Amino acid sequence: MTASQDIYPQTETLARDVDQLERSWRHPRGVFGWLSYTTHQAIGTRYIVTAFIMLLAGGIEALMMRTQLMHSNNGYLGPERYNQMFTTHGTTMMFLFAVPMMEGMAIYLVPLMCGTRNVAFPRLNAFGYWMYLFGVLFLYWGVFTNAAPDVGWFAYPPLSGPQFTPGKSTDYWAQMITFTEVSALCVAAEIIATILKMRAPGMSLNRMPLYVWSLLIQSWMIIFAMPAIVVASSYLLSDRTVATHFVNPAEGGDPLLYQHIFWFFGHPEVYIIFIPALGFVSAIVVAHSGRELVGYTAMVLAQIANGFIAFGLWVHHMFATDLPQIGEAYFTASSMMIAITSGVQIFCWIATLWSGRLRLTTALHFVYGFIAIFVLGGLTGVVLASVPLDLQVHDTYFVVAHFHYVLIGGAVFPLFGAFYHWFPKFTGRLMNETLGRVNFWVLFVGFNLVFFPMHILGLKGMPRRIYTYSPEMGWDHLNLVATIGAWVIAIGGVLFMVNFLWSRKNGQLAGNNPWDADSLEWAAASPPANYNFEYLPAATSRYPLWVAREDRAVVTGTRNERREVLVTTLMDAKPHHRYVLPGPSIWPLIAAICVTTGFAGSVFNAWYITWGTIISGLALVGWFWPKRPLEPADD
Amino acid sequence: MTEVRTIDVSGLKPYDISSQAPLWWGQFMIVFIEGTMFGILIAAYFYVRLRMDVWPPPGDQFPHRTLPTLELIPLILSCVGSYWASEAAKKNDRAGMIGGMALNVVLAGIALWMRIVEWHSLNFNWMTDAHGSYVWAFLGLHTFDYIGDLAFTAVLLLLVLIGRYGPKQRLGVHVDSIVWYFLVAIWIPIYVVIYWGPVIVRTQQ
Repeated sequence: MTASQDIYPQTETLARDVDQLERSWRHPRGVFGWLSYTTHQAIGTRYIVTAFIMLLAGGIEALMMRTQLMHSNNGYLGPERYNQMFTTHGTTMMFLFAVPMMEGMAIYLVPLMCGTRNVAFPRLNAFGYWMYLFGVLFLYWGVFTNAAPDVGWFAYPPLSGPQFTPGKSTDYWAQMITFTEVSALCVAAEIIATILKMRAPGMSLNRMPLYVWSLLIQSWMIIFAMPAIVVASSYLLSDRTVATHFVNPAEGGDPLLYQHIFWFFGHPEVYIIFIPALGFVSAIVVAHSGRELVGYTAMVLAQIANGFIAFGLWVHHMFATDLPQIGEAYFTASSMMIAITSGVQIFCWIATLWSGRLRLTTALHFVYGFIAIFVLGGLTGVVLASVPLDLQVHDTYFVVAHFHYVLIGGAVFPLFGAFYHWFPKFTGRLMNETLGRVNFWVLFVGFNLVFFPMHILGLKGMPRRIYTYSPEMGWDHLNLVATIGAWVIAIGGVLFMVNFLWSRKNGQLAGNNPWDADSLEWAAASPPANYNFEYLPAATSRYPLWVAREDRAVVTGTRNERREVLVTTLMDAKPHHRYVLPGPSIWPLIAAICVTTGFAGSVFNAWYITWGTIISGLALVGWFWPKRPLEPADD
Repeated sequence: MTEVRTIDVSGLKPYDISSQAPLWWGQFMIVFIEGTMFGILIAAYFYVRLRMDVWPPPGDQFPHRTLPTLELIPLILSCVGSYWASEAAKKNDRAGMIGGMALNVVLAGIALWMRIVEWHSLNFNWMTDAHGSYVWAFLGLHTFDYIGDLAFTAVLLLLVLIGRYGPKQRLGVHVDSIVWYFLVAIWIPIYVVIYWGPVIVRTQQ
């Protein structure tokens, strides 16, 4: 008997309830039906698959760059192509892989962990995915028509302005940002509403799993950071397309202002990527060490502090610009402060692992890899917070080494751990553990081979964003090591995909809770039904699946012939009212096509903004037009 | 049979028109997003202004203040309509929703008309210089949101007029008021920045 069946009322009503749920949550058929899905598992999977393809695209771009830098005076990529590759690589990894991947995992996992049936705004969720997909297609349409952006992933003016970069490539870049920020804001809003209002009864804020906490913090950060990049990319785009004077110095605009606004978004962006990864680590550590987390409250407070401090760090990206010294001192101090909140979390995880009953699974290997790499990246971060040191290594490979240590170590290693941990929930089968360990070690060795030598190259003075170098510089050997490491990482990626494809068909059947984990998603079937739970679970403890069966509880009395969920109060998660979620709809796709017409067209002709707004407005009216019978009827 | 405690929720309401509704939180998030955006626009305006010796730059007139100040009257009064409609939505009072939304739409329309008339008196646009760009960024974005919410209110008014509404649409009327209050409230600091900013932070002659 599986864990979830244990806690259900074994009565004759079960069959009737399940039958009703199956019918009200059934997916519509056909291609048209497929385009109308609004369940969080389907949308989450679409995000994850698309973002994984973007990881491969960004990885191929990285391999091309590393191959070019393999030895001095290499002629494999010319300077123009090299500029396109580093810009597209950075843009893809930050905007089209990392953030959407974290969002996809959240869309899939948060409703399950909160013990509900879907996100709070299912159709907005579908709309957000389509906007993301169209943003991907828009940028890569530019890449494949030889109009790839080539001004760096942050596109500073005046280089990115109309005088120095004519043509459409930078316009594609700036407008792609708009697509992804719309998508990110949609996800953030629905995740916050889901977490605050749709948690299982009894899951008060201080009982929320740390992964859910990390998503709540990350989503609020998106709400406050993304508007900045809306402003920055719109300033840049309108300077280029309708001759405004926001950031174009030739016309009285201020290019440094662009840097301020960009990094007011850009620094929190890093934490937007990395805070959910901390949530993965907490979930994996708890499940695979089989004990409660040490210092839950300290962890939550440290993550909230991380979220706040992230907004006070942006100027450390601009130490090489002419800034007042008092400002530099403030930003040095705040940048060093982040080591405290990160350190608290690292020590809590180590203490949990130290005193737990460890199962050395692949997922836990990735957590160990994360701790090792992330601590090293964090230490170089403290080094870079110091202005004189920062000026010395500014724009060198030392910086490249630092941010790959924190981003790959801090986000991608936990992400792979999360894949191994939740793969059984997504597919019903376990991934192969032997191949998983090989996969981990190949990635770990490959990663350090690429990025450790870059510290030394940076200290030796090798600047970023150069397409080649001369043999007298003495950079050949370390660059060759880094290039070999890049190909080792590629092998690690292939091993992961092989394991994924093999395990989907042949992996060991997982059952509901293969890790004997604590949180509510493991009470659902693997893979979960569209409605997640036959009966909505209640959380009677911080670790709801680790309490004795007689101490658990489930919710009855929801009307299952429609997509009904329970809304609970914000702090204590007391049941408040029932709430009917919308079903499948094609309107999110239609609305996304209309908005895309406006966004994409405006790159060529500003009037498209007007026409795009009008058709998008009409699409929204269609979206919200009430269908009869008007739900929910008073009952 | 396993004894498991159950929580019976069949007695709870099937909807709720208040800040307990998830949709209310969705609207509240829009307020945060747009509030942050306008906050950044205000910061950017002063960042550029403090780097200029003369503001507005020579050739740009001081924006006129009479019409924009008068515009505040219908604008603020339109919130009364919003409030009326939103309270009526809670009580399922159809006449109150129609009256409130109609009042809102009419007063907001008058304010919009005054705003557009005032634009014709400006002797600079977004292409003229940095001052023009930053001022028009406020005007353009706020008016865009303003027209969007006005259209949304008009559609809700239409739905209530033709009787095609249920609890979801009533919740829509309620949360629509949140965005409207915000759009009116945020206009006041923007109004001060655009029309009084050049006076408050004076040019050093």
